[in-house]
Amino acid sequence: MADLLELVVSATASGCIYALVALAYLLILRPTSVINFAVGEWAATGAFIGVAVQTPLAWPGLDGPYWLALLAVPAILGVLGWLVDVLTVRPLIRRGASVTSPILALLGVLVIFREGLTIVFGADPLPSPPPFGFKRIAFGPFAGVSQQFLIVAATFVLFAATWLFFERTLWGRACEAVALNRRAAALMGINLRRVTTFAFVSGAAVAGVAGLLMSPLTSAHYLMGLPLAIQGFTALVIGGVGRIEGALLGGLVLAFVEQFGARYLPIPSGLILGFPFVLLMVFLFLRPSGLIAPREAR
Amino acid sequence: MSIGGLTKHFGGLIAVEDLGLDLFPGEILALIGPNGAGKTTTFNLIAGVFRPTAGSIALGGARIEGLPVHRIAAMGLMRTFQHNMPFAGMSLTDNILVGCHTHCRGSLFDILLGRRGFRDQEAAARHRAAELVSFVGLQDCLDRDVATLSFGEGRLLELARALAGEPRVILLDEPAAGLTQPEMARLGAAIRDIAARGIAVLLIEHDMHFLLPLAQRIIVMNFGRKIAEGAPDEIVRDPDVIEAYLGEAVGGVAMRPSDA
Amino acid sequence: MRGTRNALASLVAIFAASALAFWLGGYATDVYRKMLIWVALALSYNFLFGIAGQVTFSHFAFAGIGAYAIVILAHKLALPFAVAFILAIVLCAVLAFIVALPSTRLEGFYLALATLAFSQLVLVVISEGGDLTGGTGGIANYRLPSVLGYAIRGPWYTILLVLLVAFTLWTLRRLDDSVFGRACRAIRDNSVAAAAMGVDVRRIKVLAFTLTSTLAGLAGIAYAYIDNVINPPVFGLENIFLLLFMIIIGGAGSHIGAIVGAVFLYLAPFVLEPIVGHGFLLVFGVLVVLTILFQPSGLAGLLNRRSVRVAT
Repeated sequence: MADLLELVVSATASGCIYALVALAYLLILRPTSVINFAVGEWAATGAFIGVAVQTPLAWPGLDGPYWLALLAVPAILGVLGWLVDVLTVRPLIRRGASVTSPILALLGVLVIFREGLTIVFGADPLPSPPPFGFKRIAFGPFAGVSQQFLIVAATFVLFAATWLFFERTLWGRACEAVALNRRAAALMGINLRRVTTFAFVSGAAVAGVAGLLMSPLTSAHYLMGLPLAIQGFTALVIGGVGRIEGALLGGLVLAFVEQFGARYLPIPSGLILGFPFVLLMVFLFLRPSGLIAPREAR
Repeated sequence: MSIGGLTKHFGGLIAVEDLGLDLFPGEILALIGPNGAGKTTTFNLIAGVFRPTAGSIALGGARIEGLPVHRIAAMGLMRTFQHNMPFAGMSLTDNILVGCHTHCRGSLFDILLGRRGFRDQEAAARHRAAELVSFVGLQDCLDRDVATLSFGEGRLLELARALAGEPRVILLDEPAAGLTQPEMARLGAAIRDIAARGIAVLLIEHDMHFLLPLAQRIIVMNFGRKIAEGAPDEIVRDPDVIEAYLGEAVGGVAMRPSDA
Repeated sequence: MRGTRNALASLVAIFAASALAFWLGGYATDVYRKMLIWVALALSYNFLFGIAGQVTFSHFAFAGIGAYAIVILAHKLALPFAVAFILAIVLCAVLAFIVALPSTRLEGFYLALATLAFSQLVLVVISEGGDLTGGTGGIANYRLPSVLGYAIRGPWYTILLVLLVAFTLWTLRRLDDSVFGRACRAIRDNSVAAAAMGVDVRRIKVLAFTLTSTLAGLAGIAYAYIDNVINPPVFGLENIFLLLFMIIIGGAGSHIGAIVGAVFLYLAPFVLEPIVGHGFLLVFGVLVVLTILFQPSGLAGLLNRRSVRVAT
């Protein structure tokens, strides 16, 4: 029984990371229709910045406290996201190119980021210190490493904040309007350029935080971006692109299927690696709108 | 072409209600009405883009409602679009050649082996495309990038492309929109020419100056229903039509509608 | 007259490319052969991506299926080579068809992700294939059997690869310059208008995907006998990005562009690695972004004054 509960904690933590990456996709996808595959690399960047700030191992080596990393990651990623928007996406959108162009350009950006990380931080995985140490803690029947609980807590906070932003603030509702009907929103005076920039800045920041949160469990490694991008996208497809809650649901579903499948299904462990891909294909072919239906235009 | 009881509901919205019309070879029939009257929806229903909620559409005796778009096109019904939809990455000639698609029958192996019959088909199609280019008057644009064509030239390309399929019926969605006067004159002559060859023309237009001398019969729609049908001079005098659409009629030549 | 001149030019090119095989030493031969495989793959991928407008990530997976199929059928299962060859091709075609049917209903990047998932799944299956596929270690120690009494080795195998490229190019150009090619481009540019012109969009899409993926499988079969070793990583994700970059930089939609892009990006690391080490990938990434921003018709567009704008 304790085994099962540990698995629940582990799956929830993983699911939250997938959910955050899916959220990063969503923040960019909804107002711009651009699928930014580079969010995985942004998460990796966040992980490395976390290591750089907190330990003397990386470049530059500091030895700072966790809250510094927590501030630095979204700040730096936000700037990077803004740069990517200004340099690659905005000129393409302004030219009226179809949405495929930015998506392909972002694949180039993906490679740039990944190679950039290798050049700056090297090819070896760098351990990332968990802020609450390696000890195990328990909340009622659920036991796990402290970092896992931090991940879950942070994820819920971020999702709640995002939900509040889109539902309750003027800025957020403007973004929603753009997501629902770009042309109408522009006609109503909403500044499309600012919304696009905000989309990239916030998406990058969320992705960076996801990487920062997961790195104590997996180390920061330059190859971590691509699998994360795929898993995040799978979570997005499962949950549906219409609502933020979908990202959370999708992430949890994916993680639970992955981990419970690995533990309890009588299939050789290697094949379990194929599960996320089977899930992705099943959802894309059979239910592309995901589990949670998109919100109807009001 | 015969249409009976054509109806289309989008959820709670009634776009087209119980529309019936007959179209004969070689005639020019115009469909007019205020914006939102259901004209383009009717086109989309005929062309197979939408499936009718009820009603029937028959082309040369064969029922076509519910068939996929490309099948209806293969059966001889071609259309143009309200907003130019050129193939931006292809040359002008290739654009028109796509219109010949249904006449270039053959499998991939025919293509690869270069079978004589297939090559002849290809040559005939190119010949036809060249003819059409001069028919619509785009000879000077042959080498230009299709994306750089003016709106009016794009309109003519739409027409040439639809004609390439040698259709029995052609649906023209606002073909004169955005054209200059000389372009409109050429278009009018082209449409008369098409009809003279036995092709049935159904067109949507807003420009009365262009339309009235051209159409042999006019159907007026409003709120998805047919409210009048007849010869042009009858229509401009019909009180229902004037009230719904034409606004003030001045001596038989109507003004632009004053509706929303 | 132009047809004869083109044919002559092609023959000269093939001859020159083949003659090169005799002139190159051991290491250079290996580079040349692999480059030819990349060119073949680039040509078929260019048709699918640049001409038919389908963004897919499964091209290398089909090359892998072709490679593994021939090796397993001809060597593990010891079938006669001709039979194994035909079966391998058929297997690629059938699998491609099965994947194409649901995939072509998807638009844009969703198609890319579905094919990505498929290719990752293929990789997993191969890695877990135990004895049959050699698992993660792959299969080695086989050789191309003699055909009609002749052992195709050394420069003759290189010439075979040149012929593969020539065949691929010939097939694709033939198809491109026909009603099929026009239909593919029409669907790429505006599938609604294409349907209105009588193009059966689904059917053409499935055909394009199946055909190009089968050609990829053929290239995979040829690849299997270069080193006489096959293992999973070659058919993985990294290479599909590289292939995509080759097409974008070379000029999507242009056969010459595909060849130029493939040669350029395949040979560039040999030149760049001594200078910037692993960073040549970063250079490619930058080049891709710059190409999309400033020269969407790629290198081919530079070469061709009357460049028809490729719909991006």
